[in-house]
Amino acid sequence: MFLEQLVNGVTLGSIYAIVALGYTLVFGVLDIINMAHGEIFMFGAFVGMLIVSKAGAPLPVAFLGAIVVTGAMGLLLERFALRPLRKAPGVSNLSSLISTIGVSILLENVAQKVFGAGNHLFETPFAEIRFRVGGVTVYLVQALILFVSLALMTGLALWLARTRTGRALRATAENLATAGLLGVDTNLMITATVVIASAMGGVAGVLVGMAFNYINNQIGLSMGLKGLAIIIFGGMGSVYGAMAGGLILGIAETLVVAYGDSGYRDSIAFLTIIVVLLIRPQGLFGQAAPGMRR
Amino acid sequence: MKRNLRTSVALACLLFSLLFLGAREARPANGAKAAPIRARIGVISILTGQGAGYGEAITDGFKLARDEINAKGAVNIELVIEDSGAKQEQALAAAQKLINSDRVVAILGPTLSNEMKVVGPEANASGVPILGTSTTAKGIPQIGKYVFRNSLPESLAIPASIGAVVKKYHVRKVALLYGNDDVFTKSGFDTMKEVSGRLGLKILTVQEFQKGQADYKAQLTRIASLKPDAIFCSALYEEGAVILSQARKMGISVPFVGGNGFNSPKVVEIAKGAAEGLVVATPWFADRGTPKVKAFVARYGKAYGRKPDQFAAQAYDALYILANALERAGAADRGRLRDALAATRNFDGVLGKFSFDAGRDVEMQPVVLIVKDGKFQPFH
Amino acid sequence: MGPEWINPYHLQVASFAFINVILGVSIYVTLATGQLSLGNAGFMGIGAYAAALLSTRYGCPIPAGIVLGGLFAGIAGILVGIPSLRLSGVYLAIATLGSGEVLRAVLVNWESLTGGAVGIAAIPQMGRVLLSRAREAGFAPESIGLRNNQFIGISVFLILFVCAFLAVLFFLRLGRTRVGRAYAAIKLDEKAAEAAGIPVTYYKVLAFSQGAMLAGFAGALYAHTTSFVSPSDFTYHRAVEILVFAVFGGSEHLLGPVFGAAFLTMLPEALRSVSDYRDILYGILLVLTMVFRPQGVLDPPLLRGFARFRRKGKA
Repeated sequence: MFLEQLVNGVTLGSIYAIVALGYTLVFGVLDIINMAHGEIFMFGAFVGMLIVSKAGAPLPVAFLGAIVVTGAMGLLLERFALRPLRKAPGVSNLSSLISTIGVSILLENVAQKVFGAGNHLFETPFAEIRFRVGGVTVYLVQALILFVSLALMTGLALWLARTRTGRALRATAENLATAGLLGVDTNLMITATVVIASAMGGVAGVLVGMAFNYINNQIGLSMGLKGLAIIIFGGMGSVYGAMAGGLILGIAETLVVAYGDSGYRDSIAFLTIIVVLLIRPQGLFGQAAPGMRR
Repeated sequence: MKRNLRTSVALACLLFSLLFLGAREARPANGAKAAPIRARIGVISILTGQGAGYGEAITDGFKLARDEINAKGAVNIELVIEDSGAKQEQALAAAQKLINSDRVVAILGPTLSNEMKVVGPEANASGVPILGTSTTAKGIPQIGKYVFRNSLPESLAIPASIGAVVKKYHVRKVALLYGNDDVFTKSGFDTMKEVSGRLGLKILTVQEFQKGQADYKAQLTRIASLKPDAIFCSALYEEGAVILSQARKMGISVPFVGGNGFNSPKVVEIAKGAAEGLVVATPWFADRGTPKVKAFVARYGKAYGRKPDQFAAQAYDALYILANALERAGAADRGRLRDALAATRNFDGVLGKFSFDAGRDVEMQPVVLIVKDGKFQPFH
Repeated sequence: MGPEWINPYHLQVASFAFINVILGVSIYVTLATGQLSLGNAGFMGIGAYAAALLSTRYGCPIPAGIVLGGLFAGIAGILVGIPSLRLSGVYLAIATLGSGEVLRAVLVNWESLTGGAVGIAAIPQMGRVLLSRAREAGFAPESIGLRNNQFIGISVFLILFVCAFLAVLFFLRLGRTRVGRAYAAIKLDEKAAEAAGIPVTYYKVLAFSQGAMLAGFAGALYAHTTSFVSPSDFTYHRAVEILVFAVFGGSEHLLGPVFGAAFLTMLPEALRSVSDYRDILYGILLVLTMVFRPQGVLDPPLLRGFARFRRKGKA
């Protein structure tokens, strides 16, 4: 049973990791927490559901559709809820926090109006295909989720490290003003970051639909809270921290259910971060002293 | 300092006057002496946020019943529908508005037992009959003599379903699974545990989940490894359908026993083939085949494009029960309506024969159903 | 009978507004030292459960239960506040949010004490208790032309008004004392404040526990207003709601959160006629406010403007 639970945990964890990546990218560049990320993720799941279950199109189309829609939502979010705040002088980070909370309330209720309340079936043609690896049952869906998330994470890490735009983005994250002086179009970089982060949320949404077969307009909230806990745990703005943190949390939650008390499953995320913060306030992979970060 | 205070007082006045302006002029609801009896009835339901799915079914049931009752002509009902957003404070504020601004003669709802525990005492103190249509937790009618419900409590439903399954499948060892952060599923679980103890069943494990969780694989993997004869699952159908589907995909094929809240055509719609083998006890059975039920299912389907679930059925019956009591009371008077309501015996609705017992709680016979060939069928 | 303009519905909404005003003040107090705590929903829960248990299990009189509820929450605030000193900014916000969520899990799972998800019902409601006391003492509300529920509504309204008023008054005053100036100095620049000899640690913990105590106090009042508490009252949503009071109303001046709490409690009621869309409108309002007035609706310049306007009016 242990190995099977481990597979469950890794699947869950890799989805957490992708959700957390969306938060961490935006925080790294803008120093704000995008509270609407969970709801963008939820929209990604719904777009995927419409394409796969209602239109009967293959999965890659669903990923593509989700990326396009959530990417566009990221663009709108940046343009209308974040940029006006950035321009204004002397605005605290709290304002953008509230502004994104406003967007998240809006999106959650728009989803309820458009898609209806309650669960929607996310059907994948190969949901029941499974195989045995050395005595452990693994589902094709689990393998696929792991593959997609690993590919996404490696791709992102390579892009940030190797490409010109990736480096510009990191420069922007390091210091907005200096990057601007050095000729980086910081507005473009910020927009790109929010769009990429949102699109990753869209991919995560489709993965959640595939993994659990059901989605509703409330999944953004619970997933969003986990994502928040992970970026604190892994270190704010750290890409590797989000990946490691997501996996650790997914496995920890699963093992608590397997060997402990399932009633405390949802608290694990926060218990871990409280402990980590008290021992290592900057998070697992964080570098800056948290006192510097406001 | 003083200036600041004055500013704040001025602001507060401004705010209050806004609120007062927003309030409608209240009209008394009595009307003409001759038939029909005109009654304004308040509804508190969840229209937004988590649980809006239940609120939607419930309000649809009310509206359908209202249109039919008004068409008959003996009673004329005006519904004032208010949202609670699944929040206790908003439910209480809505109740106060209905009682004091709209002067309703009775209140239907609220949707959740939690909300009823806040709203019930207030309605009772104000002498307004309140009838819960989906509040199944313990202790609801005990709040006071103006508080009623027509939803079958889990303490009646669950012994019936568990008893039938244990007898038919010779169940010895069971696993329990429930949502521990919800009043409804928690009290369902308490009943399941008690009934299991009474029947001498061995409880292998008790697993919990929380609202909004999407992934039940960890709990189910642990249950599967213990090989129970049956799984008793206290969940509302939204979560329940997902649990069923994930369990069947993992190869768990033993019967699932659910409570009243598990009974919805949506279970089959959401879980498809995975719903096979689910046993529930419920007063609501859409394929019962009596003319009343047939007519209700057809009209509901025509109006809202889907099959009514038990929430819609309970709401539909509740308004009829109220209209029936109004007729007997002879006038839209809160006190007389309460007495007439309490005297309701053998009312014939879509849920079958219904009576209030001496404690204003439900007296009815649940039927045990199993999902077979893609639909709920009587379980023998 | 009874004067019709006294509507228990309006009194009820106003009562909730007063409780929320106290919550708004509670988050402002910690913000005054530059610490953003999202744990106030949890502290509110501690106060509410303490008051509920004291009155239902131990027959403790309501006023004593409310004070003790606040004190318990204040102690919890010190316990959470000391380790949290190492954190600031978003780290502190999420860690405190997390402690609230953990507390909620404890409330759900510690059934023997808290009743789990079922919560605690039949908590004495202060208005109803007052009414029965008054009747025992031979006073009938009818004698001054009030219906029972009008009497209950008015007494709850008055009690909460006095509580909220005192809380606001106390912290307005505090702002002008040595403590308030120390808070402001810490908020402006912690290092400089330390260099100037202000015991930063002491004041930060003090502010944190003051906020917690106030939130617990509001929670205790809440328990005796609704007569029922359950873990679902003190979730993430509540924490965010309290934060929104402060930031929407304006976090630079105490009256900002006060205004935010009062306004945002009444807004959903005013929008009842469009209840299907009110959450959507609420979301849009938040975004628009932040875009056009990121410092919140009320800020010190605006309040000074008000004051000047009033002076002119008098002259």
